[in-house]
Amino acid sequence: MMKKTGGNKNVSHTILPWIIPSAFFGAWFIVSSTGILPTYLLPEPVTVIGTANTYVFAEPGSAPYAGRFLQDATTSLVRVFFGFSIAVAAGLPLGILSGRVAAINRLFGSFINGLRAIPGITWLPIAMIWLGIGMKTTVFLVALAAFFPIYLNAAAGARQINPLILRAGAMMGVGRIRGSYAVLLPGAMPHIMTGLRLGLGIAWAYLVLGELTGVPDGLGAVIMDARMIGRIDMIIVGMILIAIVGKVSDALLVTFLRISFKSARRMQ
Amino acid sequence: MILSGGKEATGQTSPAAILEAITVTMQFEVNGVKKKVLDDINFTVQQGEFTCIVGQSGCGKTTLLNILAGFIIPTSGLVRVQGRPIRKPGPDRCVVFQDDTLFPWLTVHENIAFGLKGGEGNKRQIEEDVNRFLFFVGLLDYRNYLPRDLSGGMKQRVELARVLVLKPLILLMDEPFASLDYRTRWEMQDLLISLGHELSQTIIFVTHDVDEAITIADKIEIMAINPGTITEELHITQERPRKVNQTECAFYRDRIYRALWN
Repeated sequence: MMKKTGGNKNVSHTILPWIIPSAFFGAWFIVSSTGILPTYLLPEPVTVIGTANTYVFAEPGSAPYAGRFLQDATTSLVRVFFGFSIAVAAGLPLGILSGRVAAINRLFGSFINGLRAIPGITWLPIAMIWLGIGMKTTVFLVALAAFFPIYLNAAAGARQINPLILRAGAMMGVGRIRGSYAVLLPGAMPHIMTGLRLGLGIAWAYLVLGELTGVPDGLGAVIMDARMIGRIDMIIVGMILIAIVGKVSDALLVTFLRISFKSARRMQ
Repeated sequence: MILSGGKEATGQTSPAAILEAITVTMQFEVNGVKKKVLDDINFTVQQGEFTCIVGQSGCGKTTLLNILAGFIIPTSGLVRVQGRPIRKPGPDRCVVFQDDTLFPWLTVHENIAFGLKGGEGNKRQIEEDVNRFLFFVGLLDYRNYLPRDLSGGMKQRVELARVLVLKPLILLMDEPFASLDYRTRWEMQDLLISLGHELSQTIIFVTHDVDEAITIADKIEIMAINPGTITEELHITQERPRKVNQTECAFYRDRIYRALWN
């Protein structure tokens, strides 16, 4: 009896996660190959795979979009990297300070929460006027969007630290400076990590927004370009690749934090 | 058997006193109403003495300990350590709390080394000290464990090692064994008494448990409630190890209960 339950559990563990994706791809295949939906609305999986192959691996110039992936991905990564770095540099210290110092929280809190009420997408027109089309606008949008989750979670993490842990630090002779990085930062790390991951996720969303507005390169630009010439297979390839690159960058962020901080490694 | 009742006169200092509390009063404001939590607390502690502060829940024991630690500043009066008034927390007055305050991101070994890393002393010296105290509290085999993998009793052993390794002038303990089971508690009391003796450590130990106080203390300060004040000082001269069912202990217990409940 016990053994059977264990066995069932193992089977369900390995099989369950694959049922929905398989059904999804099966349905896609049936719908597109039987002509229920015309291929100019939903291309067949094989077409999409072929397009992805051309976009990623083919010789540049041999076909439309051929071999452009590396350059587009690099451009997008650089934009995300700069935007996200600005968000971290501003959001992390400000968030931790707001969480610990009531005066700072009162000083910045209402302003930041007011800004947060403005939908991120509405910054696009004014950003285009201020900064033009391209790198600067995209970085601005990414930084702005990623700032809020990083700031809010750092503040929550710093606020919710067990006060006895801070007392324990003070009692062992830890001053302001060592206390900040040896007690406060690790104590708030689970929240900080959540904020950074949410921020990076939203950074990719706003990257696409920034690149949808007439820049020549980048993963978002490719999708918009493909829409204009009706290459729906290329749109789908772009969507999937952004998902993959976003997921990989999240994994890299987590790995980086785990390597750099004991607290990120040990407090999951 | 020697008994010395009553409190010491205000501000009176004896040459060997390591800590003096002088007319310490603490007032809190709760919902606009001022409440006197501590009223005119006076006592002294000698070097190497094991002092217990006994009183019922809510009498201000923890507030008093927080004042001694420097976490809070009294409304009036002062506490002097080796003649110098206390202004802030510091490693000369280490605290073992009732709750778990180990750093969850550090191993047992790193937790104990934490306080040493701020000061002078090289890596090898720190390593030696940490190992010595790991041995004292019987946790050498657990040096690389994280706090979440330890039992409550083991955590309190690490808390104890982490502060003793700093060689504090005074060790402050706030009901440190209150949440441990009976047997573990008993082991911890033994450990504390033997370590305290070996290191001639001055200890101030807050508890609501009269039997615990009688078992471990050299001297008991009995605290009344509303407002919290020390009503009596009791020296326990009974030989160790003590059993709470001994006649002498029964005598002390009787005396403390009368002081607490009159």
